[in-house]
Amino acid sequence: MSNDRSRAPGWRAAIKLWFLLDVVVALAPPLYWAMDGDMAPIAGVPAALFYFLAVNVFITASLVAAYLLDQADGESAA
Amino acid sequence: MIVTFGLLALFFAFVVWTLHRNRVLDQSFTDYAVGGRSFGARYQAMSFLNTWYPGSMFTAFGALSVTAGVMSFYVLSYSLLIVVLLFVLARPVWIWGKTYELKTQGDLFALRYGSRHIRTIAAVIGVISGLPWLVLGMQALGNLFQAMSLGALSFSTSVVIGVIVIAVRQIWTVRMGMRGVVISDYVQGIVAYVFGGIMLVGLIVWLVQVRGATLWTIDPKLYEIPGLGSKEGPLYLFALMFTGALGGWCWPYIFVRLFTADGVRSLKKSAVLAVPLTFFFGVALLIFGMLASTIPEALAKPDDVWFIVSQQAGGVVLLGLAGVVLLAASMGHTDGNIQAYGAQLANDLVGNYVELDQRQMILIAKVGMLLLTLLASWLATLTLPALFSLAVLAYQGIIQLAIPQFLGIFWKKGNCEGAIAGMLAGFVTAVGLELAYGGQLPFGYGLTSGCFGLAANLAVYVTLAYLLPRSEEERLRIDALFAAVRRPRAVNATAGIRPQGQPI
Repeated sequence: MSNDRSRAPGWRAAIKLWFLLDVVVALAPPLYWAMDGDMAPIAGVPAALFYFLAVNVFITASLVAAYLLDQADGESAA
Repeated sequence: MIVTFGLLALFFAFVVWTLHRNRVLDQSFTDYAVGGRSFGARYQAMSFLNTWYPGSMFTAFGALSVTAGVMSFYVLSYSLLIVVLLFVLARPVWIWGKTYELKTQGDLFALRYGSRHIRTIAAVIGVISGLPWLVLGMQALGNLFQAMSLGALSFSTSVVIGVIVIAVRQIWTVRMGMRGVVISDYVQGIVAYVFGGIMLVGLIVWLVQVRGATLWTIDPKLYEIPGLGSKEGPLYLFALMFTGALGGWCWPYIFVRLFTADGVRSLKKSAVLAVPLTFFFGVALLIFGMLASTIPEALAKPDDVWFIVSQQAGGVVLLGLAGVVLLAASMGHTDGNIQAYGAQLANDLVGNYVELDQRQMILIAKVGMLLLTLLASWLATLTLPALFSLAVLAYQGIIQLAIPQFLGIFWKKGNCEGAIAGMLAGFVTAVGLELAYGGQLPFGYGLTSGCFGLAANLAVYVTLAYLLPRSEEERLRIDALFAAVRRPRAVNATAGIRPQGQPI
């Protein structure tokens, strides 16, 4: 139990950082400027589309991870 | 027409039957306004989705993906960020809501800033900003009913029919309040986003297999993203996503979802249920639109892409089902709006200055909802050329609630003077720039008037937070509020000072 408690702040900080990265990858203009009109295939889809799919998977994964850690912690992870 | 309208009528009847089957007499205004804070994660998730995504997702954003391609994914990015914010807001807002009996967004402002007048300001901004969107939502049903009539009805007649249908639907919203909204959202949400998402996947398969559409054969222009040198400006997409993500939780009908759950755990679980659904539905809709750009009829009438492709793929039966999906999405959005504004009229405006008992509060909320339905219905049947501009302007205005709302929840230092002055400065800046330059600011690099308003708002809020002194009594009150939402170990240490955090 004490082990869980001492670990919790670290997980919370990591999740907060991930949420912050969600905002950065979704909103930072240079990232999407770099993808403007790019149809080079990445994982089978055009790069411009891949960028948006990757960003949205990243955000979705952050929330799922936050919830799972929350459950494991028995309280709030973020 | 019998098939398409018959399917719509069957679905409408099913929703009404579900509502009657679950009717519970509301004992208090809390029951009526926030459903007695009794809903679990699944209901919360569907209610959030059904209120957040309007029927125009299938028309306006469907059209955007047909004409602008990959850029339309911005709506998915900010929708997902809004679900992240749901997770982050869950703990403080729900706990304050439960502890201090908060029922509206305005209640939270009043509690945090210790002023009942700020409740009125927030409510007025919310109601005025929401009205154009409510009217637009009703008018959007014109597309639905014209498509369902297979072109037999004119657009103006279709709008009138759509308005009548959605107005009749509000009978149950008025009678059942938030409980009715959440229960119907559950049914409507499953139809709109689960069944609708499956339909979208089926239509994508049809577009690829039968029409030969692929991501490589669509117009390369659909992969363009406004960047350096674009006519919209390099920061245009940033502005859309930033204001969209911040603004989502400023709408009273979205914010009140934080008060309807039965606990923080349910709210957080609802976020994790909503996020994959949001992702699945959004990706399916936007890829569907991009692939449908290869169909000439859809390109000619992009607003109708959902109906055109459904009819081509599956005849009138699939067209009718497409109509059911769009009606489900539209009803959820509209009834969420009407209910939230009715509760605000009773709680934040009338009840803020007149002593009312529970029964009178419910009665005023019901009368408010009825009047709002009638007003929006009447406006929706008129030809209002400036309505869309007004709606855009309203959005730039309502996001000014974001600064006092988010900083108020997570930062102790903000004060009432800063919140009110900041909102006013932001609102005046946004509206002034919008009126002076009509949408596209020559010096904005794509930033919208709302972004400049937010900057002014933030500057005023932070400056006054540091400049104005705070009384010891107010400091203790704010300390007590924040102590209430600290995690268990911290709460125990500060439990003794909670009573001073009473709402105004």
